[in-house]
Amino acid sequence: MTPSTATRASGVTDVVFDAVGITFHSDTASTEAVANVTGTIPEGRFVSVIGPSGCGKSTLLDMVGGLLKPTKGSISINGERVTGPRKDTSMVFQEDSTLHWRSVLDNVAFGLEVHGLPKAERYETARSMVELVGLSGFESHRPGQLSGGMKQRVAIARALAMQPRVLLMDEPFGALDQQTRQFIGRELLQIWEKTRNRVLFITHDIQEAVYLSDEVWVMSARPSVVKEVVTVDLPRPRPSGTHALPRFRELEDHLWSLIKVEAEKTLGAGAQRA
Amino acid sequence: MTAVIEQRRVRRGNALPMKRKAALLRWGIIVGVLLLLEVLTRAGAISPAIFVPPSEIIWRLISIVPTPQFGRDAWVSLSTILISFVIGLVVGLALGVFLWKVPAAGRVLEPFIVTGYAMPTLLFYPVLLALLGLNAGPIILIAATMALVPIALTTMVALNAVKPILHKLAKSVNASNRQYYLKVLLPAATPLIFPGVRLGFIYAVIGTIAMEFILAARGIGFRVGFYYRELQTGNMWAYIMIVVVLSVIVNGLLTALERRIRRDML
Repeated sequence: MTPSTATRASGVTDVVFDAVGITFHSDTASTEAVANVTGTIPEGRFVSVIGPSGCGKSTLLDMVGGLLKPTKGSISINGERVTGPRKDTSMVFQEDSTLHWRSVLDNVAFGLEVHGLPKAERYETARSMVELVGLSGFESHRPGQLSGGMKQRVAIARALAMQPRVLLMDEPFGALDQQTRQFIGRELLQIWEKTRNRVLFITHDIQEAVYLSDEVWVMSARPSVVKEVVTVDLPRPRPSGTHALPRFRELEDHLWSLIKVEAEKTLGAGAQRA
Repeated sequence: MTAVIEQRRVRRGNALPMKRKAALLRWGIIVGVLLLLEVLTRAGAISPAIFVPPSEIIWRLISIVPTPQFGRDAWVSLSTILISFVIGLVVGLALGVFLWKVPAAGRVLEPFIVTGYAMPTLLFYPVLLALLGLNAGPIILIAATMALVPIALTTMVALNAVKPILHKLAKSVNASNRQYYLKVLLPAATPLIFPGVRLGFIYAVIGTIAMEFILAARGIGFRVGFYYRELQTGNMWAYIMIVVVLSVIVNGLLTALERRIRRDML
């Protein structure tokens, strides 16, 4: 077990989770989705969160994005408590979130437009982001003319255009086929090597998590806690052969064994209830 | 590679004449029916009280269209249709947004509105005439009501169909409510609202012409009824042809507009 991020001294510019929990209330029941998450994403770090289905990974991400308020504890970025969506965080979703009536360029510029940036400036930024994600030449295409992978690149470009301190990605490649997924993952790493923002990346693909991240947080079944923080000590940049390294396999096996226990708990609980 | 291109060219090469063939055939049917009617009426197989030769209808049209009376009738009908449509559009959109925004109200009111679809609203025309008098008011009231029903329903359905992820996206970039409505919700829903708007317009036309036909002092529908009662079959058909041509033009314009809006959806 690697030292927990909680024990590491956290810097002022970090994303800090301080005993974060959230409970959802409905008319008939209350569900504790996240019990207690404590941790830190330091500057320039790529952190992935994996865990069994329904363990509250996305909920955690939504809380950092300011879309949900924790009912326990707090999240702070740059020493400021997150109380709502911030200008220095931006999100990429699993589902296609492109605006079908807008061109690629206008999609990428959407966030900047909402923030009231002048037209010339936002198009300049949007153009360079379109180039960064490899969509040059598609600026005036509509999302309907693009493949699923290209649409996700539009979403990534839109998020990067906001020049976020923290990039929040909720299974962004989850709806893509395996080939596209690996290819776009490699591209994401190349982009990230240039921008080096903090990334919180939700996935349930263990390989993807190991390949992309500096740290992988393994979440337990609901109500979830961070069960273990696994540091990925693979050298960067990571060429395509990285998957074949013995250390990669080791980390993958270790994460798989952790996830298996949690997944069995979830399934077991389901079986008992049934 | 060249084979693929070749194949595609061949396929496209076939597609165009197919379309052209269909259009040609359509015009062929129209001309054929007109010729058949011409022959049947001239031979006396169809009574002149029911139908007159198409060539005569065309002559009537040429003499009717330049008259000031036709100008007045056309103006009255067109303005009534437009006013009814605009009222139906504004009220229909507002009602649709309300039904979407307040789902409880939607559940209570939706059956009434759906009934509005099925019910021949124009039966209330005589009552409204008695209440409001013989003017444009009763016609506009009924035509607008007929128009608003499909507009309200499609607006509600379209807004409900906007993907929740788009709301999440707007929230994540801290968009105001106003920005969400104008930049996301409205453009996302427009292609789905449009078929209802188109139907609303058609209902405004039907409502106006039908009510004029039943009882009015002016308008194209009134002329059709007037010449029908006067047994001037030739003039009656001339005015019916005007309505047909008007409908074809309006339908063409709406189709073109809809295609433009839909193109964005791809």
